[in-house]
Amino acid sequence: MTSRVFRALITFGGLVALAVALSSCDVGGLHPIFPNPVSPNGQDIYNTYLGISIPAIVIFLGVELALLWVVLRYRRSTQPAGYIPPQVHGNVPLEVVWTIIPLIIVLAIAGYSFVELQKDFQPISNQQMTVIVSGHQFGWNYEYENGVVVHQEGTLAGDVTPFVVPTHTLVKLQFRGTDVIHSWWVPAISGKTDAVPGYDNFSWLKIDQVGTWRGECAELCGVGHSTMQIIVQSMDQNDFNAWMDQQKSAASPSASPSASPSK
Amino acid sequence: MATTVLPRPKAYDDTFFKPISLWLTTTDHKLIGIMYMVTGILSFVIGGIFALIVRLQLSQPNLKVIDPETYNQLISAHGVTMIFFFVTIFLTGIANYMVPIMIGARDMAFPRVNLLGFWLVPVSILLYYSGFFTGGALNAGWTGYAPLTERAYNSHSLGVDFWALSIIVWAISGIMASTNFLTTIVALRAPGMKFSRLPLFVWAQISTSILLLVVGAPLAAAMILLEFDRQLGTQFFTTAGRPVLYQHLFWFFGHPEVYIMILPGFGMISEVIPVFARKPIFGYMSMVAALFGIVFLSMTVWAHHMFTVGMNTYVEGFFMLMTMLIAVPTGIKFFNWIATTWWGSVEFTVPMKFAFGFLATFLIGGLTGIYLASVPVDTQLHQSYYVVAHLHYVLFGGSVFTIMAGIYYWFPKITGRMLGRVLGEWNFWTLFIGFNGTFLIMHTLGLEGMPRRIATYANPAWAATNAIITISSFLIAISVLLLLINIVRSWSSGEIAGNDPWRANTLEWATTSPPPPYNFERVPPVRSFMPLRDLRESGEVVEEPTPVPA
Repeated sequence: MTSRVFRALITFGGLVALAVALSSCDVGGLHPIFPNPVSPNGQDIYNTYLGISIPAIVIFLGVELALLWVVLRYRRSTQPAGYIPPQVHGNVPLEVVWTIIPLIIVLAIAGYSFVELQKDFQPISNQQMTVIVSGHQFGWNYEYENGVVVHQEGTLAGDVTPFVVPTHTLVKLQFRGTDVIHSWWVPAISGKTDAVPGYDNFSWLKIDQVGTWRGECAELCGVGHSTMQIIVQSMDQNDFNAWMDQQKSAASPSASPSASPSK
Repeated sequence: MATTVLPRPKAYDDTFFKPISLWLTTTDHKLIGIMYMVTGILSFVIGGIFALIVRLQLSQPNLKVIDPETYNQLISAHGVTMIFFFVTIFLTGIANYMVPIMIGARDMAFPRVNLLGFWLVPVSILLYYSGFFTGGALNAGWTGYAPLTERAYNSHSLGVDFWALSIIVWAISGIMASTNFLTTIVALRAPGMKFSRLPLFVWAQISTSILLLVVGAPLAAAMILLEFDRQLGTQFFTTAGRPVLYQHLFWFFGHPEVYIMILPGFGMISEVIPVFARKPIFGYMSMVAALFGIVFLSMTVWAHHMFTVGMNTYVEGFFMLMTMLIAVPTGIKFFNWIATTWWGSVEFTVPMKFAFGFLATFLIGGLTGIYLASVPVDTQLHQSYYVVAHLHYVLFGGSVFTIMAGIYYWFPKITGRMLGRVLGEWNFWTLFIGFNGTFLIMHTLGLEGMPRRIATYANPAWAATNAIITISSFLIAISVLLLLINIVRSWSSGEIAGNDPWRANTLEWATTSPPPPYNFERVPPVRSFMPLRDLRESGEVVEEPTPVPA
């Protein structure tokens, strides 16, 4: 049954090639991994991802090749006629080996991840600036320490009001939910953080380059969920100060931004 | 006790077309099993149609095939239908049919509880879909996170209420079935069928039943509290209450539910592989131990669905560690399956193809599970299309492929006819290619930042990938259509199977196909975990000649 062997080869080969292609180059403008991280915590997540990939790819290739070997070598049509397989019931040393080795691998991955978890996911207190991010149906409000609030209302038309941060500044983000649960996610910066009603949740960012990065709400929050787009714009300190002055003057005539939760 | 070769007049009716009154009132575990399985497959088709509509909506940016509210209802209905009404129900059915026969029993321990447990399932299904006629069904995803499901944000319809009631009924039905399975396996085993000789599928059913018994009640509790909030004005999970508590209760059920949907599949693979490799299962005891390792660990990992809600990092570290440890027993099972085929004489029949398809794809789901278990990485991947890809590799590459293997393996026993091989090959290859085409590239969408459950997207960079996914998803639909055609054709005019078409090892193949209502005229002796092979080798069962095509 050579045709069947051939088909199996093509399928498995195709899958492996696709997996390799996806992990090595851009496909149609898509990055096979997160966008290049611009904040140190995002960079650490990126490195953790790559670190886990080393054993994962080895195991993937090892097991798929073993399956392919069985398909090609031990199929009945390739065995001699009347072949009776050895009636093996098990092999304790072998079974111990393939219990211990995966155990060591996952303990290593868990340890590595835990170090990164302690490093980047504790609430920080050495921030240079704090912004309160609150989610509502459907949009985000960003409240700076001086009382200025940026309203980033939900839209799919591309006219998202940017949330502006200065470069080279450690910004603590304090998340609040005012109605249902939302989740603030800008992949180029870092992982997502939920904005849950009832308590504050934390994250931080520190961007050292000028630019804009997009993201959106990642927790289903109602009909406008897909409109909750996020734009984060980083400016150098002078530009940021100018932007902040402009916000202040724009905000002062029409006071009282309506941030009260709608029932 | 040689089983006879010649067809003989039967004292019972083994056709599918029985009077409706019999179907409605039967306590025969086999007929109830068939009804479970048919219900499951119908749900599979319905849930699949929901998925296809969703894929059409997402095939290009800014489409308006359906509005966001309908979209939210359809993704919820897809998840609820597939998880609660297809996979779990189908697996309960196949176990209902096979477990009593495999242990040499005449029926389940509580036949009338079995009857009631089954008929609660259509009640549960009808309750859920009734939501569509009250102004809209559940629209918050199959997880139904509060406070989005609370009255303050969801008062336009009774969809959430009907969903909660449906799930409560479903949980009661599941608890009945689990109790019944455990009692049957403990109390009704044939002489000689020690626990150390139980087929691995039966062991899998023990572990599944224990899981559902433990986690079914907390699920019902979560739904009852949610209903209190909605209808009586309590504040358990409202904006003023503790929304995260809902997630804890839900996932204490929700994560073990993943194993409720895959452990019976593991059991089926453990039956299929030794038969077609012509070798005994490698490491029987470690296979059983691994099942119970998974049962224990799966109840200690629920908060890994909640790494972004803001928990203490040591608590997160605990859940991360326990989650990753599940890779160890799962790895043992994987290596044992491969070792079973090593040096074997492997016949790639359709069930064996699905078993290998399962091994090749479930591996990917297992490996992406390690990434998702790592808390820092999970904060990126959580609630993105990476998770959608992962969960489909586990539930489709895992549960559906094992279910397909089980269907092709046991169809001859259930109907007395073989499930057509040619269509079966087409079924396998279209499903394997369609499945991987749909879900492999979905990982990249998640890495690139596409959240799950968004009704549409504006980013043009995601367009090409989404188009490929949608096209591939229709290949899956074609494959399911081939399966249905194959089932209908084979059931009416397939090749006659005979008692034991695969030269299998377990007791269900020692009786006729389909078995009589009392299963065995005389219960065969059991001397090992492969009783039928023992009988064949000692000459007590005469091998049948190759069946003559009908």
